Amino acid sequence: MRSTSSSPNALRVAVQALVTSLLGLTASTAAFSQGNTSDELRTAVEGKLKGKTVAWMPTTLGFPLTDKWTQVMRDEAEQMGVKFVVRDPGWKPDSMVQIVNALITEKPDVMIVHNFNVQLLAKQLERAEKAGIHVIQVNMVSNYKTDAYVGANWNQIGRMVGEDVVTQCGKASGKSGKVAVVQGDLTSSASLEQLASFEKAVAADPSIKIVSKQDANWDATKANTITATVLQQHPDLCATFGFWGTMQNGAAQAVKAAGKLDQVKVYASGEGNRQDCSNVKDGLFYKFVNYSAADQARAFMATAGFLLQSGIKPGGIRMASYSRPFWMSKENLDPAMCFDTPKR
Amino acid sequence: MLLVTLLLALFYSATLPGFASIDNMLNVARSVSILGILSLGLGLVVISRGLDLSQIAAMAVSTAIVVQMVAHGTPLPVALALGAAVALAIGIANGVLIAFVEIPALFTTLASGFLIYGVARVTVLDGFISYVAKEQTGFLFIGQGTVLGIPMPILVFMLMAVLVHLVLSRTRIGLFIYAHGDNQETARLTGIAVRPLTVLVYSASALIAFLAGLVSAATTASMNTNIINSTLIFDVILVVVLGGISLVGGRGGVLSVVAGAALIGVLLNGMVIMNLDGNLQNIIKGLVLLCAILLDGRLHPRDEETARQGD
Repeated sequence: MRSTSSSPNALRVAVQALVTSLLGLTASTAAFSQGNTSDELRTAVEGKLKGKTVAWMPTTLGFPLTDKWTQVMRDEAEQMGVKFVVRDPGWKPDSMVQIVNALITEKPDVMIVHNFNVQLLAKQLERAEKAGIHVIQVNMVSNYKTDAYVGANWNQIGRMVGEDVVTQCGKASGKSGKVAVVQGDLTSSASLEQLASFEKAVAADPSIKIVSKQDANWDATKANTITATVLQQHPDLCATFGFWGTMQNGAAQAVKAAGKLDQVKVYASGEGNRQDCSNVKDGLFYKFVNYSAADQARAFMATAGFLLQSGIKPGGIRMASYSRPFWMSKENLDPAMCFDTPKR
Repeated sequence: MLLVTLLLALFYSATLPGFASIDNMLNVARSVSILGILSLGLGLVVISRGLDLSQIAAMAVSTAIVVQMVAHGTPLPVALALGAAVALAIGIANGVLIAFVEIPALFTTLASGFLIYGVARVTVLDGFISYVAKEQTGFLFIGQGTVLGIPMPILVFMLMAVLVHLVLSRTRIGLFIYAHGDNQETARLTGIAVRPLTVLVYSASALIAFLAGLVSAATTASMNTNIINSTLIFDVILVVVLGGISLVGGRGGVLSVVAGAALIGVLLNGMVIMNLDGNLQNIIKGLVLLCAILLDGRLHPRDEETARQGD
């Protein structure tokens, strides 16, 4: 009796399991079948993006870099059908903290932040994520990493310039091997990471000597004064590398004023605004690593779109999307490589 | 203050190869000439017992307007005239608010600095940065050119220093400025038109700032109005005060400004040559300035009697 009673039981359990799994399967195919036609896919995506808000805080508006980003992001947001809000702290660290605090209260769905330095917003960004906001950091990352970093791969850029400096100023070149670095704000990730990888790359050639690594705080006037002094001390300088084209423009003017544009190779990295191209064309920049602001801005918004559609909870992922940098020099220069600053 | 500067220069000469060369001295002078020009303007204001915190905003806005207009095709003389007019308007507005409406200079110029910049950003300026085209050789010359081997910024600074010195020491207006700084009430009672004088002084400050801005823009072939977010105005005040122009007014002169600028220039140049870390530079800058102020206080003790005049 025992055996007969147990076997139908076992059968029932097996049937139940089968039915449950079949039901589960149909349920999941039902979920995906919503996207099986283009109409269904569009409806599903619109449903996930509709009514969502993306908030954006650059370090400041008014620079070609941030103005271009903002213009493209606004267009992309319109295309995606999400609400886009911009908060401009005007390069003031205290305003940056206030704005992020205010945004945490307002609770947008995605917050995109351009960090002034690695420390300033670390605590706030963590709080924002805990409060249920997706946080994307762009181009200059904080010590606290959030859902996504989208922007330049500074490590790669520093290495690219370092390796080129080795070929131009290293042992094989017969030059002095003296190199100056013009840093931005010392506590910005763009400075820290570019310097570290640049130093590592030039260390491959012991004849390269970094004679100066002053910070010019992203300011062309300071870069100009520093470079004039460095040229004074080291008349046989072989190259200078500035961490931002807009700042390094001042260094290039100092090299030009000293009549040494033929001797001193001026390197810079940057977003590729119109002046960057002019500086390459006029020989003020010897070579320029362009990370293309417009492409970056599209990647910011694509990442925001991904996070909103993925169903991943804020803080549930650590991803990065690194911009592709490319060299600009007199040889390959094309006006299309640079952008004009958008009119307001 | 010259003594401190000389001591520091001697120390650097002994320890830093390349510091004491003529070329480097020119480089030091060039690097502080913009600061020096600004300090001449603020010096005038402070001697008359005022303060102009809007100076950097006036400089940035009036210069950026010129650079941007030229970039958009306006002839340089027209743009310069308009830039000067903007600077003059800012100066007159400051002066009128301080002299006639009688708002303290500190608050007036603090507020007007923000106001000027904000209005300009919203209405006329395209962005933070405007560039000077390389074809504008005449304009670029005042920042990048040399005459007899001397860089133009130094010549502009020296020229302005002589001019301001002559005004302060040889003209009636100069005498009035000192009198106003010493004791405004007495100046008024002796028949000096103190209110127009105040307007004049603030206008001069704004115009001199405009000139400094032009030299600065020509040096880097660009104007970045974000400079108003920098600590430049404090550097200007430091040069003025370090040089020995007392904030209570009526004291000091152009030589004080030159000495103050020289001290800052020598200090910064030496640290760049030594390739010191930025944070360390700030520490040293703070310490040296503190020592200089202490020494100055010992050498020129505050006169209780005159310090309180007019309060």
